[in-house]
Amino acid sequence: MKKTGASPSRKIPGALAAVAGVLLLLPLAGLDAFLLNVLTVGFLMAVYTGSWDIVGGVAGQVSLGHALFFGAATYGCALLTSLAGWPFPLAAAAALLLAAAAGAAAGALSAPLKGPFVALLTLALGEAAHEYFLGQTFFSPEGAYSWGGEGGIPVLLSGPPFSPWTLYYAALAFLVLSLWLMLRITRSEEGLFWTALSGSELSARASGVDIPKHKRRAFVVGSLFAGAAGIGFAACVGRATADDFSLELSFQAATFAAIGGRGTIVGPVLAALVFHSLLQGTGIPSEVRVLFYALVLLLTLRFFPGGVAGTLRERARSRRMVLQGKGRTR
Amino acid sequence: MNGLLLAEGIVKSFGATRVLRGITMEIGRGEVVGLFGPNGSGKTTLANIVSGLLQPDRGRILFEGKDITRMTMDARFRAGISRTFQIPDPYPSLTVVESVRVALLGGQAARRARGEERGGLEEELDSLLVRTGLFAQRFWPAAKLSQGCLRRLEFARAISCRPRMILLDEVFSALSARDEAELVGLMRTLHREEEISFLVISHNPLILEELCDRVVAIEDGRVFWEGKPGDLAKYVPAANHGHESEIHGEG
Repeated sequence: MKKTGASPSRKIPGALAAVAGVLLLLPLAGLDAFLLNVLTVGFLMAVYTGSWDIVGGVAGQVSLGHALFFGAATYGCALLTSLAGWPFPLAAAAALLLAAAAGAAAGALSAPLKGPFVALLTLALGEAAHEYFLGQTFFSPEGAYSWGGEGGIPVLLSGPPFSPWTLYYAALAFLVLSLWLMLRITRSEEGLFWTALSGSELSARASGVDIPKHKRRAFVVGSLFAGAAGIGFAACVGRATADDFSLELSFQAATFAAIGGRGTIVGPVLAALVFHSLLQGTGIPSEVRVLFYALVLLLTLRFFPGGVAGTLRERARSRRMVLQGKGRTR
Repeated sequence: MNGLLLAEGIVKSFGATRVLRGITMEIGRGEVVGLFGPNGSGKTTLANIVSGLLQPDRGRILFEGKDITRMTMDARFRAGISRTFQIPDPYPSLTVVESVRVALLGGQAARRARGEERGGLEEELDSLLVRTGLFAQRFWPAAKLSQGCLRRLEFARAISCRPRMILLDEVFSALSARDEAELVGLMRTLHREEEISFLVISHNPLILEELCDRVVAIEDGRVFWEGKPGDLAKYVPAANHGHESEIHGEG
């Protein structure tokens, strides 16, 4: 509470530690490889949704093309390992830079825009990339295979494939680290500027905040985390397909974030983890999934406009005001 | 002349509507200038051009001898021109102390570059909240403040950059007597102790008579009259029934 930016209630660290503890022990409870994989990808999707929340929640620049940064990273990994023959770690580093470059470009283009225009522009950028990679064919160096589109491009790992257990724990560690980093960043000075410009551009400008600069930074930071999640996904799945740029992936991030509570990071991350696992674990077809997103989104907006975490935070805050005698008398 | 700010030949149109038709005005160092005019006379447009929210179609703005016509509002804040808004627009998810911190950080880098940084951020934050009478409400969500406290918050934001000049847009209208007296007192202290210049925009002649060294009256986008505040009612017809028309929010 003494620092800046979003101030979640004090129970959150304890609750998060409990969730992490359960996830740490879950594989020992005898999960099969399928469920292990669902959760592993769920951790990556949680980071990806958290990265959306940096741009669309904390900084208020609602992006509907966030898959662009995810796909840039998976394609970077795939093309650089399979076509250029780079070792995986080097390709991953380059892929992260590629995602950040895409973020910088999207940020620079949308910095002068507001609200729905940011959403439209990012939607167009994401869909343009999706369409392009759907139709784009790449040929393997020996000319024996053609890669690309929905079939995808293989991601070559240097060395033997990872066991499901290794991937599970690596992804869990990645989620914990990313969540901690994302919360640190949103509570820094930069995060305070993001919260301010998302709340009132006018007041922020009159407070000396260089809005385009901080919007660009939010996009770069968001795309870095989305790219990191993409690299993890590429390593896990072993393939980059045009679906990595898909509209569903972009919409899914915005929906999960709205359900969890935009701007709280923790809410969107947990919502993504829960919903991804439920939807994938039960094998619901994608058409039903999209319908489900729409329904849950509507219900959330109707009953919890701030999302689950946002509503809880608001309650904790007004309780604190009353307890400190600083609230208005009932 | 020891002018701090000079607005020269300012022309501004919105579509076919000419709002400002060549306004020239000057503000001296440590001077309190009132800007008077009926609703729709172009007061707020001029304020927006001086503060950098709008760009003029023609004319230029000089601040401390430098041409700042193309400078953005945030850069002007960092350079020492701040303003308040007629209708405050608080950050919905920040508390009072966080809102002031944004402005303090927003101006800090520029001050550091000029070598003016003194004292710690936290002390300065506390002192700003105490000066503006917001210390007790510092953990309140800014959006839940009363009208009077919102104006105080506007003041805190405006003085956080240690400005050379503050533009007050209808800051004293529709306030309780106590809020008005305290904010007027704060303004006088700032003027006396830090030699800050003020451009006070109001359609209330009584406030201008009380606060200003000089008043500029505009009408239809032109300077209509300029002189001592005491003479305002004598020469400007609109000023005679000013206090009956306590209506705010111009088009």
